[in-house]
Amino acid sequence: MFFQARGLTRRYGGTPVLRDVTFDVKQGEMVSIIGPSGAGKTTLLKLIAGLERPDEGALRFDTTPTRENPVILVFQDYVLFPNMTVFDNVAFGLRSRRIAKSEIRRRVMDVLDYFGLADKADQYPNELSGGQRQRVAIGRGLVVNPMMLLLDEPFANLDRNLKLQTAEFIRETQRTFGVTTLSVTHDLEEAFVMSDRIGLIMDGELVQYGRSKDIYFNPVHDEAARFLGPLNILEGEALRLVSDGPTGRVAVRPEALGLTVDENGPGIIAEAVFAGHFTRFAVDIGGERIVVYGNGPGLVPGARVSVRILDELIKKGTV
Amino acid sequence: MSCARAGTGRTLLKLSPLLVPLALLFAGGLALAVAQSLGYMLPFDYHGGRFDAYANLLTERCIKSAALSLYVAVVSAGLSVAVGSVLAYGIWRLPERLERAAIVYKVPLILPHIAVAFIVLIFWSKSGVVSAAAYHAGLVASIDQFPSVLFSGNGLGMILAYTYKEIPFTILLAYAVLKRMDPQLVTTASMLGASEPRVFLRVVLPHMAKTLHTTFIILFLYSFGAFDIPFLLGESTPGMLSIEVYNLYFRRELADRPTAMAILTCMFLFSLFFIWLYTRVAKQMQPRERKL
Repeated sequence: MFFQARGLTRRYGGTPVLRDVTFDVKQGEMVSIIGPSGAGKTTLLKLIAGLERPDEGALRFDTTPTRENPVILVFQDYVLFPNMTVFDNVAFGLRSRRIAKSEIRRRVMDVLDYFGLADKADQYPNELSGGQRQRVAIGRGLVVNPMMLLLDEPFANLDRNLKLQTAEFIRETQRTFGVTTLSVTHDLEEAFVMSDRIGLIMDGELVQYGRSKDIYFNPVHDEAARFLGPLNILEGEALRLVSDGPTGRVAVRPEALGLTVDENGPGIIAEAVFAGHFTRFAVDIGGERIVVYGNGPGLVPGARVSVRILDELIKKGTV
Repeated sequence: MSCARAGTGRTLLKLSPLLVPLALLFAGGLALAVAQSLGYMLPFDYHGGRFDAYANLLTERCIKSAALSLYVAVVSAGLSVAVGSVLAYGIWRLPERLERAAIVYKVPLILPHIAVAFIVLIFWSKSGVVSAAAYHAGLVASIDQFPSVLFSGNGLGMILAYTYKEIPFTILLAYAVLKRMDPQLVTTASMLGASEPRVFLRVVLPHMAKTLHTTFIILFLYSFGAFDIPFLLGESTPGMLSIEVYNLYFRRELADRPTAMAILTCMFLFSLFFIWLYTRVAKQMQPRERKL
């Protein structure tokens, strides 16, 4: 395994911030650690970057990181050197290694070309947009051929409409450069888009670690499921009215439910909120109020509807 | 137009507590010095030429005195800024509890210059603490063999006193600037493989540069023109310019007063020229400092 974290524990003033965190990262993999604010994500990143030491546990790399192949952390605020141009920022790590000027120029311009920043080479960080600064920061890290790239909240300082685009760009860049990357974020959609595997940290514990779809559709517990998105807990009469299958207690995501207008249906639409590419319906059914995403004619407040758990999502929607 | 004029008038009125003393004492004093250097407003009948006092400045003694003043000011201000900026960075990097303890660096700031001069005398004179320690440690056979640190003609005593007093001043200003610097800049530079000296020179120093330039100008001008430390630790030949002025004005003939005033006028003009030249050179050398 390329990288292993084993039983990492970190305490601040006796209070554990991380508890017994264990996971592996394969070479060339893109991993995201997600979790609510204060869950210990950034602390985990600092431990891996070597900026802090764990109180217990160990970090193991296949090959020990060196000055030639370091672990590079890209901070949330990008931390570009304000007195240097874009070119000088990206060249900083190479110049620290005393590489020939012509080689530095070639490598820096290659990176700037890839990131679409060649025409910004002589500009200063304050002349760039947030997205451009982020690309400079990532390029500055990638140009030194890192063993592992760590991204701290890569979407935190971006406009909403840029986040998904950036996630795709990071994913593409990671594949192109083949660098093993670990990011921590609380932007779920972006994490799902760009990651091979996802880890969910809650209250300092890594409660789940696996493929994106498994994490999303098979959360380990209700709290994890709720963090990952809106959730309906169905049981008793409500569950019987929406499914012939499972019994007991079932957690179903709004998008795993189908909604159709039905004069004799058991549900009534209590509320409909337009949310862009879908409408969010609150439906009263079997004494419960559930949330369903959908679109369609006749789906208006007061309309009677039938609700079904979509067959292909029954198993994955079950907790 | 009249509104703007009234506004300017009100501003001048508000600034008058500062402007009036400045105009009377500083500008008035300067005008008097220039006038006396040209032979006007003197307490005796002046029969010399208008620029005789300035011609007197071209003597070897006066030129050597100016050179010594320049040398002492450049070396002491340069050393203070160099050492002070490194120490400020060192303090900034200390853990928080030690950072608070490092406040002891401010002690020399509250000492008057005259006290610092005595400290240097006590430590570095032939019969001082350091020579006695060197003798007892067996480094010198007798106290007489201890090298002349003070009064040896190279201004070392004055430089020691100035640096002792001015290093904390530099730390104070540089540390205030560092407190506003993002520590992640240093972390990032180290992660990218930069050595400690490179981090300091390429990341930290540019952040402090503007303040260090100002500090250098203040310290240079003070050392260039100050009287108290040269009076106690300076040599007589050549003496610092301030000592030459003192001697010419108080200890010699009344007829020497125009020369004393000519030195003061030239020192003032040189100070203005130095500020202009330094800021111009610093601006050209410094890359564009940008804030994110």
